[in-house]
Amino acid sequence: MKQRTPLMRRLGIAFILLWSLVPLYWALNISLQTDAQAGSKPSNYLPPTPSLDNYSSLLSGGSDLAQSVQQSSINIFIECAAATVITLILATLAAYAFARIQFKGRRVLFYAVLATMAFPAYTTLIPLYQILTAFGLVNTYTGIVLVYVSGFLPLATWILHNYMASLPIALEEAGNIDGASRMQVLWHIVLPLARPGLISTAIITFLFAWGQFLFPLVLSSDLSTQPLTVVIASLQGRHLVPYTLLNAAGVVALAVPAGIALVLNRYIVSGMLAGSVK
Amino acid sequence: MISKRNRLRGTALVAGAAALSVLATACTGGAGASSSQTKDVTITVALFGAPPPQKSLDAFTKSTGITVKWSTIDWDSLQTKIAAASTSNTYFADATDVDWSRVGQESKLGWFLPMEKYIDQKAYAADMPQLSSFTSNGHIVGVPFDASYLVTTVNKAMFAKAGISAMPTTIDEYTQDLQKVKAAGVAQNPLNIPFAAAEGLSTYWYETTQAFGGKILDESGKPQFSSPDSAGYKAAQWMVDAIKNGLVPAGNINVSDSESQQTLMAKGVTASTFADYSGNVGSLYDVPASSSVNGAVQYIPTPGMTGATANVSNPDGIGILKTAKYPEAAAKFIEWFTSAENQADFAGANGPDKVMPGYFLPSRLTGLEKLTAAKGLAGGQELTTMLKSSKPVFPAGAPVWYPQFSNSVYTNLHAAAAGSMTVDAAIKAISDSATKLAGQ
Repeated sequence: MKQRTPLMRRLGIAFILLWSLVPLYWALNISLQTDAQAGSKPSNYLPPTPSLDNYSSLLSGGSDLAQSVQQSSINIFIECAAATVITLILATLAAYAFARIQFKGRRVLFYAVLATMAFPAYTTLIPLYQILTAFGLVNTYTGIVLVYVSGFLPLATWILHNYMASLPIALEEAGNIDGASRMQVLWHIVLPLARPGLISTAIITFLFAWGQFLFPLVLSSDLSTQPLTVVIASLQGRHLVPYTLLNAAGVVALAVPAGIALVLNRYIVSGMLAGSVK
Repeated sequence: MISKRNRLRGTALVAGAAALSVLATACTGGAGASSSQTKDVTITVALFGAPPPQKSLDAFTKSTGITVKWSTIDWDSLQTKIAAASTSNTYFADATDVDWSRVGQESKLGWFLPMEKYIDQKAYAADMPQLSSFTSNGHIVGVPFDASYLVTTVNKAMFAKAGISAMPTTIDEYTQDLQKVKAAGVAQNPLNIPFAAAEGLSTYWYETTQAFGGKILDESGKPQFSSPDSAGYKAAQWMVDAIKNGLVPAGNINVSDSESQQTLMAKGVTASTFADYSGNVGSLYDVPASSSVNGAVQYIPTPGMTGATANVSNPDGIGILKTAKYPEAAAKFIEWFTSAENQADFAGANGPDKVMPGYFLPSRLTGLEKLTAAKGLAGGQELTTMLKSSKPVFPAGAPVWYPQFSNSVYTNLHAAAAGSMTVDAAIKAISDSATKLAGQ
């Protein structure tokens, strides 16, 4: 029995790895082929003559396509970064209040905030669209960032709340005894201790924002605000699908989140597990 | 000194007032008032393809004073945007796509302005056989800008290798010829039917049903395919038999229409597609970069029960959104965009400088004739004849419940082809679904 468990575990890990990595490999493989090679039968499991032409079409030169990809890459960075920073600031304040300040209705309010995570995104799309239209915020960075913040704030608050609640309260009490105000305690004592939690929350928020499609699709009208995810989808024709180009665009869009996940994955895991073990 | 309680009250009041003002502003929001101005205005046109050449758009601006801001959005995403903006009563474009399959829905919901107010309906109808696909409840919801109808394509080189020189004109001849191609070893699975549970499977069945001499629904929405003697039933049986008998590749069970055209027909794996897209010969099969069968694939008149039959039209149109800022200017653009001269130019009649990328075929007969005369369009004569006789699946416009109906069609036909239900059960399920939807 003892020998079978590691084997099963290995098989399980191998299955999960294949399940996750084969589609990514296939996208990379197709992106390095020409249309003719990608459509050949039997399929090429390795690019016969690896070519970067698709990446060149997407990223270099002054073609309309390259300009769209370049501009939408800038847009997605701005929108994700801004949403991350604002979410982190608001979530920190909210999480600290929920974790440490005693006030009437605290639990109800906290669970009400968490409950908003259960709302399907589609139910909020139309009301948010109307509100942004009323304020002239459609097709603006501000509008898209505000919507991202409203969407990601509950999860960020929850993660940070769990993290802050797990910190020893004695240090904060010592700060209070020494005359520090609530904000000073938060700034000088809690935030340095909660740094891993803040980093993981920032990463998770950034990755979630990066993967958004429906909201920026509806809330942006042109290249001035459209993120990369929306521009990639527009490469698809009505009757013809440029498979190799779409795969290359997918790999480009994947590069940043994949890099973040690879380099900072320990923070992501710790953030997701925050508060699960006390 | 203000007490803590008072401070809290003050904060609550300010927050409440802010929330109310947000709500009030939001409730009064929506589309701004439209203007009939047609000079010195900028309109937004949102479609799923790349824009016409900038020179052409500049010429339009020069002659009308209307500047066009073009927004390219893929077809599926565009439908989402149209629905979101129209439901929210907010502006996102002046003119945009009207798909034939959504005409009933969009007409009933009033998302588009009636086009008969802006165009000469009689003149357009005489030159645009597919205009009727965009008519619902007596109103024209959109104008077809790019002819799309289903056609039969055949790889004549593969047929010739199997000893077939005369092209089939009936379904029986067609089936026998495909069996000959298979028996001769020219193609292991010569027929391309995309059996993935997607819209392409539904339209394939509509075309096949028409070829078997029948229709899908009557004027009241009653299904016409329930009986085993009906054309729709026979068409479904023919399609499912084709995959069971090996005429269709087994892998096609999860292959979509465009995917099968690009990876099977364009690569010479299959020898024929019964319901292909008009324009695919010139834009796909004859393009060396994407095809290995250049010059071999041709259109043939769609085989029917006793001879060639009409083709099912499934065009895309352009209409003016109810929330448009400049409807009159948008109408002027549509008139220009769908003119015979421009359609021929966009399709390549007058050189590459005037080509609109991704444009298939003119929706005007005069546009198609100009194109055929100018550049010897691949299969131009056949295409013109077929466009003249092309018929909409739903002569009175697609019903409001078309999306649910189509979902039922492709889900059940896919299941029948996969062997998880019989053709009889699939047809019964589709028929029940149509009856239920029509009765709502």
